[in-house]
Amino acid sequence: MCHVSVGHIARNAESKGIPTVAVMARSFGHVASEMKYARAVITRHPMGRPMGPPGDRATHDRVVDAALDLLASATSGTTIVELPEPYRPLNEATQRS
Amino acid sequence: MGESIREFLDSFFYGSRNDLSFKFLKGMSEEEASEFLSLLLTKVGELYDGAPPDDLIDLAYQWQVDAYTPKPGAERKWVHEDGPFTPLSKPLAEMSVGLVTSSGHFTSEDPPGDGRATKSQEEIVKEIDDFLARTPELSEIPTSHPTEELNVRHPGYDTRSSALDPEVALPIRALERAASRGSIGSVSSPAYSFVGAASQLRLRADRDGWVDRWKEAGVEALFLVPV
Repeated sequence: MCHVSVGHIARNAESKGIPTVAVMARSFGHVASEMKYARAVITRHPMGRPMGPPGDRATHDRVVDAALDLLASATSGTTIVELPEPYRPLNEATQRS
Repeated sequence: MGESIREFLDSFFYGSRNDLSFKFLKGMSEEEASEFLSLLLTKVGELYDGAPPDDLIDLAYQWQVDAYTPKPGAERKWVHEDGPFTPLSKPLAEMSVGLVTSSGHFTSEDPPGDGRATKSQEEIVKEIDDFLARTPELSEIPTSHPTEELNVRHPGYDTRSSALDPEVALPIRALERAASRGSIGSVSSPAYSFVGAASQLRLRADRDGWVDRWKEAGVEALFLVPV
Protein backbone atom coordinates (compact mmCIF):
# COMPACT_ATOMS: atom_id res chain seq x y z
CA MET A 1 0.00 0.00 0.00
CA CYS A 2 2.91 2.37 0.72
CA HIS A 3 4.03 2.06 -2.89
CA VAL A 4 0.61 3.07 -4.15
CA SER A 5 0.53 5.97 -1.67
CA VAL A 6 3.90 7.26 -2.82
CA GLY A 7 2.84 6.64 -6.42
CA HIS A 8 0.04 9.16 -5.93
CA ILE A 9 2.56 11.60 -4.47
CA ALA A 10 4.98 11.11 -7.37
CA ARG A 11 2.23 11.73 -9.91
CA ASN A 12 0.96 14.82 -8.06
CA ALA A 13 4.46 16.27 -7.74
CA GLU A 14 5.34 15.67 -11.39
CA SER A 15 2.02 17.21 -12.45
CA LYS A 16 2.90 20.35 -10.50
CA GLY A 17 6.42 20.68 -11.88
CA ILE A 18 8.54 18.85 -9.31
CA PRO A 19 10.70 16.09 -10.83
CA THR A 20 10.83 12.92 -8.74
CA VAL A 21 12.81 9.75 -8.35
CA ALA A 22 11.81 6.84 -6.12
CA VAL A 23 13.73 3.95 -4.56
CA MET A 24 11.78 0.81 -3.80
CA ALA A 25 12.31 -2.84 -2.94
CA ARG A 26 11.87 -5.44 -5.68
CA SER A 27 8.76 -6.99 -4.12
CA PHE A 28 6.81 -3.88 -5.12
CA GLY A 29 8.65 -2.94 -8.30
CA HIS A 30 5.58 -3.79 -10.37
CA VAL A 31 3.78 -0.82 -8.77
CA ALA A 32 6.28 1.56 -10.41
CA SER A 33 5.21 0.25 -13.81
CA GLU A 34 1.51 0.13 -13.00
CA MET A 35 1.33 3.66 -11.58
CA LYS A 36 3.78 5.08 -14.11
CA TYR A 37 6.22 6.49 -11.63
CA ALA A 38 8.32 9.02 -13.57
CA ARG A 39 11.63 7.50 -12.42
CA ALA A 40 12.25 4.54 -10.16
CA VAL A 41 15.24 2.58 -8.89
CA ILE A 42 14.43 -0.95 -7.78
CA THR A 43 16.69 -2.63 -5.25
CA ARG A 44 17.01 -6.36 -4.58
CA HIS A 45 16.41 -5.80 -0.88
CA PRO A 46 13.77 -7.25 1.43
CA MET A 47 10.62 -5.29 2.14
CA GLY A 48 11.24 -2.49 4.65
CA ARG A 49 14.89 -1.96 3.69
CA PRO A 50 14.80 -0.24 0.28
CA MET A 51 18.10 1.59 0.76
CA GLY A 52 20.03 -1.42 2.04
CA PRO A 53 21.06 -3.10 5.28
CA PRO A 54 21.30 -1.19 8.57
CA GLY A 55 24.63 0.53 8.99
CA ASP A 56 25.76 -0.13 5.42
CA ARG A 57 26.73 3.37 4.32
CA ALA A 58 28.46 2.16 1.17
CA THR A 59 25.27 0.51 -0.10
CA HIS A 60 23.13 3.48 0.91
CA ASP A 61 25.48 5.76 -1.02
CA ARG A 62 25.41 3.50 -4.10
CA VAL A 63 21.62 3.48 -4.11
CA VAL A 64 21.42 7.25 -3.65
CA ASP A 65 23.93 7.79 -6.45
CA ALA A 66 21.98 5.50 -8.79
CA ALA A 67 18.76 7.34 -8.02
CA LEU A 68 20.31 10.77 -8.52
CA ASP A 69 21.90 9.62 -11.78
CA LEU A 70 18.46 8.52 -12.95
CA LEU A 71 16.89 11.78 -11.80
CA ALA A 72 19.40 13.69 -13.88
CA SER A 73 19.47 11.48 -16.95
CA ALA A 74 15.90 10.29 -17.60
CA THR A 75 14.38 11.92 -20.66
CA SER A 76 10.91 10.38 -20.50
CA GLY A 77 8.48 9.00 -17.97
CA THR A 78 8.40 5.57 -16.38
CA THR A 79 12.13 5.12 -16.60
CA ILE A 80 12.91 2.22 -14.30
CA VAL A 81 16.33 0.89 -13.34
CA GLU A 82 16.95 -2.26 -11.31
CA LEU A 83 20.16 -2.58 -9.33
CA PRO A 84 21.66 -6.08 -9.43
CA GLU A 85 23.34 -6.27 -6.03
CA PRO A 86 21.80 -8.79 -3.61
CA TYR A 87 21.04 -7.93 0.01
CA ARG A 88 24.03 -8.66 2.20
CA PRO A 89 23.74 -7.40 5.80
CA LEU A 90 26.88 -6.36 7.58
CA ASN A 91 28.16 -8.81 10.13
CA GLU A 92 29.91 -7.74 13.31
CA ALA A 93 33.37 -8.22 11.85
CA THR A 94 32.50 -6.06 8.86
CA GLN A 95 30.98 -3.37 11.03
CA ARG A 96 34.10 -3.18 13.17
CA SER A 97 36.44 -2.95 10.20
CA MET B 1 -9.42 -29.74 17.40
CA GLY B 2 -5.90 -28.69 16.52
CA GLU B 3 -4.81 -25.84 14.31
CA SER B 4 -4.95 -26.50 10.58
CA ILE B 5 -2.08 -25.67 8.24
CA ARG B 6 -4.25 -22.98 6.71
CA GLU B 7 -4.84 -21.38 10.10
CA PHE B 8 -1.13 -21.62 10.85
CA LEU B 9 -0.22 -19.79 7.61
CA ASP B 10 -2.91 -17.16 8.08
CA SER B 11 -1.70 -16.43 11.61
CA PHE B 12 1.38 -14.63 10.21
CA PHE B 13 -0.88 -11.97 8.66
CA TYR B 14 -1.97 -9.77 11.57
CA GLY B 15 -2.76 -12.88 13.59
CA SER B 16 -1.36 -14.69 16.59
CA ARG B 17 2.05 -15.11 14.91
CA ASN B 18 2.05 -11.76 13.17
CA ASP B 19 5.30 -11.17 11.30
CA LEU B 20 5.25 -8.36 8.76
CA SER B 21 8.25 -9.81 6.89
CA PHE B 22 6.40 -13.07 6.38
CA LYS B 23 2.76 -11.99 6.26
CA PHE B 24 2.77 -13.14 2.64
CA LEU B 25 2.37 -16.70 3.94
CA LYS B 26 -1.35 -16.01 4.11
CA GLY B 27 -1.56 -15.62 0.35
CA MET B 28 0.20 -18.92 -0.38
CA SER B 29 -1.41 -22.26 -1.03
CA GLU B 30 -0.61 -25.00 1.44
CA GLU B 31 1.53 -26.69 -1.20
CA GLU B 32 3.53 -23.52 -1.91
CA ALA B 33 4.02 -22.82 1.77
CA SER B 34 5.12 -26.40 2.39
CA GLU B 35 7.78 -26.09 -0.29
CA PHE B 36 8.93 -22.72 1.06
CA LEU B 37 9.19 -23.90 4.65
CA SER B 38 10.94 -27.10 3.61
CA LEU B 39 13.55 -25.18 1.59
CA LEU B 40 13.94 -22.72 4.45
CA LEU B 41 14.67 -25.49 6.94
CA THR B 42 17.15 -27.09 4.57
CA LYS B 43 19.07 -23.83 4.35
CA VAL B 44 18.98 -23.44 8.13
CA GLY B 45 20.43 -26.92 8.45
CA GLU B 46 23.27 -25.99 6.12
CA LEU B 47 24.20 -23.16 8.47
CA TYR B 48 25.18 -25.78 11.06
CA ASP B 49 28.02 -26.86 8.81
CA GLY B 50 29.33 -23.39 8.18
CA ALA B 51 27.37 -22.33 5.11
CA PRO B 52 27.14 -18.53 4.85
CA PRO B 53 23.66 -17.05 5.42
CA ASP B 54 23.54 -15.60 1.91
CA ASP B 55 21.55 -18.49 0.43
CA LEU B 56 19.01 -18.33 3.26
CA ILE B 57 18.54 -14.58 2.77
CA ASP B 58 18.23 -15.00 -0.99
CA LEU B 59 15.66 -17.76 -0.57
CA ALA B 60 13.44 -15.72 1.77
CA TYR B 61 13.87 -12.65 -0.43
CA GLN B 62 12.89 -14.48 -3.63
CA TRP B 63 9.80 -16.04 -2.09
CA GLN B 64 8.78 -12.62 -0.80
CA VAL B 65 9.19 -11.15 -4.28
CA ASP B 66 7.22 -13.98 -5.89
CA ALA B 67 4.45 -13.64 -3.31
CA TYR B 68 3.93 -9.93 -3.95
CA THR B 69 4.35 -9.98 -7.73
CA PRO B 70 0.85 -10.13 -9.26
CA LYS B 71 -0.05 -13.35 -11.04
CA PRO B 72 -0.88 -13.01 -14.77
CA GLY B 73 -4.45 -11.84 -15.18
CA ALA B 74 -4.81 -10.71 -11.58
CA GLU B 75 -7.11 -7.73 -11.11
CA ARG B 76 -5.17 -4.58 -10.27
CA LYS B 77 -6.70 -1.38 -8.91
CA TRP B 78 -4.18 1.42 -9.32
CA VAL B 79 -3.06 1.12 -12.94
CA HIS B 80 -2.46 4.14 -15.18
CA GLU B 81 -1.99 4.23 -18.94
CA ASP B 82 0.53 7.06 -18.72
CA GLY B 83 2.17 9.30 -16.18
CA PRO B 84 3.30 12.91 -15.80
CA PHE B 85 6.97 13.68 -16.28
CA THR B 86 8.82 16.87 -15.40
CA PRO B 87 12.37 17.27 -16.72
CA LEU B 88 14.96 18.99 -14.57
CA SER B 89 14.88 22.77 -14.95
CA LYS B 90 18.57 23.16 -14.11
CA PRO B 91 21.56 20.99 -13.17
CA LEU B 92 20.90 18.70 -10.23
CA ALA B 93 24.06 20.05 -8.61
CA GLU B 94 22.22 23.35 -8.21
CA MET B 95 18.94 21.95 -6.89
CA SER B 96 17.47 21.63 -3.43
CA VAL B 97 16.28 18.02 -3.10
CA GLY B 98 13.49 17.10 -0.71
CA LEU B 99 13.10 13.69 0.91
CA VAL B 100 9.73 12.03 1.45
CA THR B 101 9.36 8.51 2.81
CA SER B 102 6.42 6.37 3.86
CA SER B 103 8.50 4.85 6.66
CA GLY B 104 6.52 6.21 9.59
CA HIS B 105 9.46 7.96 11.33
CA PHE B 106 8.86 10.94 13.60
CA THR B 107 10.66 13.04 16.20
CA SER B 108 9.73 13.19 19.86
CA GLU B 109 9.53 16.98 19.51
CA ASP B 110 6.80 16.69 16.85
CA PRO B 111 4.81 13.55 17.71
CA PRO B 112 2.04 12.55 15.29
CA GLY B 113 -1.50 12.87 16.57
CA ASP B 114 -2.60 9.49 15.27
CA GLY B 115 -1.59 7.57 18.37
CA ARG B 116 1.78 6.33 17.17
CA ALA B 117 3.74 8.42 19.66
CA THR B 118 2.22 6.75 22.70
CA LYS B 119 1.88 3.17 21.47
CA SER B 120 4.28 0.36 20.75
CA GLN B 121 4.88 -1.03 17.28
CA GLU B 122 2.91 -4.12 18.29
CA GLU B 123 -0.06 -2.00 19.35
CA ILE B 124 0.03 0.05 16.16
CA VAL B 125 0.05 -3.09 14.01
CA LYS B 126 -3.31 -4.05 15.50
CA GLU B 127 -4.75 -0.79 14.15
CA ILE B 128 -3.93 -1.51 10.50
CA ASP B 129 -7.57 -1.39 9.37
CA ASP B 130 -8.06 1.98 11.00
CA PHE B 131 -4.90 3.38 9.42
CA LEU B 132 -6.03 2.38 5.93
CA ALA B 133 -9.00 4.76 6.22
CA ARG B 134 -7.22 7.56 8.03
CA THR B 135 -6.03 10.93 6.83
CA PRO B 136 -2.26 10.54 6.42
CA GLU B 137 -0.18 12.66 8.74
CA LEU B 138 3.05 14.19 7.51
CA SER B 139 5.87 14.32 10.07
CA GLU B 140 8.55 16.94 9.63
CA ILE B 141 12.06 15.76 10.44
CA PRO B 142 14.71 18.51 10.47
CA THR B 143 17.76 17.16 8.67
CA SER B 144 19.88 18.29 11.62
CA HIS B 145 17.95 16.01 13.98
CA PRO B 146 20.06 13.09 15.27
CA THR B 147 18.74 10.12 13.30
CA GLU B 148 19.52 7.76 16.19
CA GLU B 149 16.89 9.61 18.22
CA LEU B 150 14.08 9.14 15.70
CA ASN B 151 11.05 7.00 16.46
CA VAL B 152 9.29 4.73 13.99
CA ARG B 153 5.87 3.11 14.09
CA HIS B 154 4.14 1.61 11.08
CA PRO B 155 1.35 -0.96 10.86
CA GLY B 156 2.35 -2.33 7.46
CA TYR B 157 5.99 -3.40 7.43
CA ASP B 158 8.70 -4.91 9.62
CA THR B 159 10.24 -1.82 11.23
CA ARG B 160 13.16 -3.55 12.95
CA SER B 161 15.77 -2.36 10.45
CA SER B 162 14.44 1.18 10.20
CA ALA B 163 14.40 1.41 13.99
CA LEU B 164 18.00 0.20 14.13
CA ASP B 165 19.13 2.56 11.36
CA PRO B 166 16.58 5.02 9.88
CA GLU B 167 18.82 5.39 6.82
CA VAL B 168 17.45 2.11 5.43
CA ALA B 169 14.26 4.01 4.58
CA LEU B 170 15.01 7.66 5.38
CA PRO B 171 18.38 8.41 3.74
CA ILE B 172 19.04 11.90 5.11
CA ARG B 173 22.73 11.32 5.78
CA ALA B 174 23.29 9.53 2.47
CA LEU B 175 21.74 12.48 0.63
CA GLU B 176 23.89 14.88 2.64
CA ARG B 177 26.97 12.91 1.58
CA ALA B 178 25.75 13.20 -2.03
CA ALA B 179 25.46 16.96 -1.53
CA SER B 180 28.99 17.11 -0.12
CA ARG B 181 30.20 15.30 -3.27
CA GLY B 182 28.45 17.91 -5.38
CA SER B 183 25.84 15.57 -6.85
CA ILE B 184 23.01 17.78 -5.63
CA GLY B 185 22.91 21.38 -4.47
CA SER B 186 21.50 20.68 -1.01
CA VAL B 187 19.12 18.52 1.01
CA SER B 188 15.95 20.43 1.77
CA SER B 189 15.06 20.57 5.46
CA PRO B 190 12.84 19.25 6.88
CA ALA B 191 12.57 15.76 5.44
CA TYR B 192 9.10 14.22 5.60
CA SER B 193 7.76 10.86 6.71
CA PHE B 194 4.25 9.45 6.89
CA VAL B 195 2.48 6.11 7.20
CA GLY B 196 1.69 4.92 3.71
CA ALA B 197 -1.17 2.78 4.95
CA ALA B 198 -3.71 5.59 4.65
CA SER B 199 -6.66 6.90 2.65
CA GLN B 200 -5.72 6.41 -0.99
CA LEU B 201 -8.42 8.75 -2.30
CA ARG B 202 -7.11 11.53 -0.10
CA LEU B 203 -3.53 10.99 -1.24
CA ARG B 204 -4.50 10.70 -4.89
CA ALA B 205 -6.27 14.07 -4.80
CA ASP B 206 -3.56 15.65 -2.61
CA ARG B 207 -6.35 16.99 -0.44
CA ASP B 208 -3.89 18.08 2.21
CA GLY B 209 -1.86 20.18 -0.23
CA TRP B 210 1.44 18.41 0.37
CA VAL B 211 2.97 19.28 -3.00
CA ASP B 212 2.31 23.00 -2.56
CA ARG B 213 3.70 22.75 0.97
CA TRP B 214 6.93 21.25 -0.37
CA LYS B 215 7.20 23.85 -3.11
CA GLU B 216 6.79 26.61 -0.54
CA ALA B 217 9.57 24.98 1.48
CA GLY B 218 11.88 25.38 -1.52
CA VAL B 219 11.90 21.79 -2.73
CA GLU B 220 12.96 21.67 -6.40
CA ALA B 221 13.15 17.87 -6.82
CA LEU B 222 11.89 14.99 -4.72
CA PHE B 223 13.65 11.84 -3.56
CA LEU B 224 10.86 9.39 -2.68
CA VAL B 225 11.17 6.21 -0.65
CA PRO B 226 8.07 4.01 -0.52
CA VAL B 227 8.62 1.39 2.15
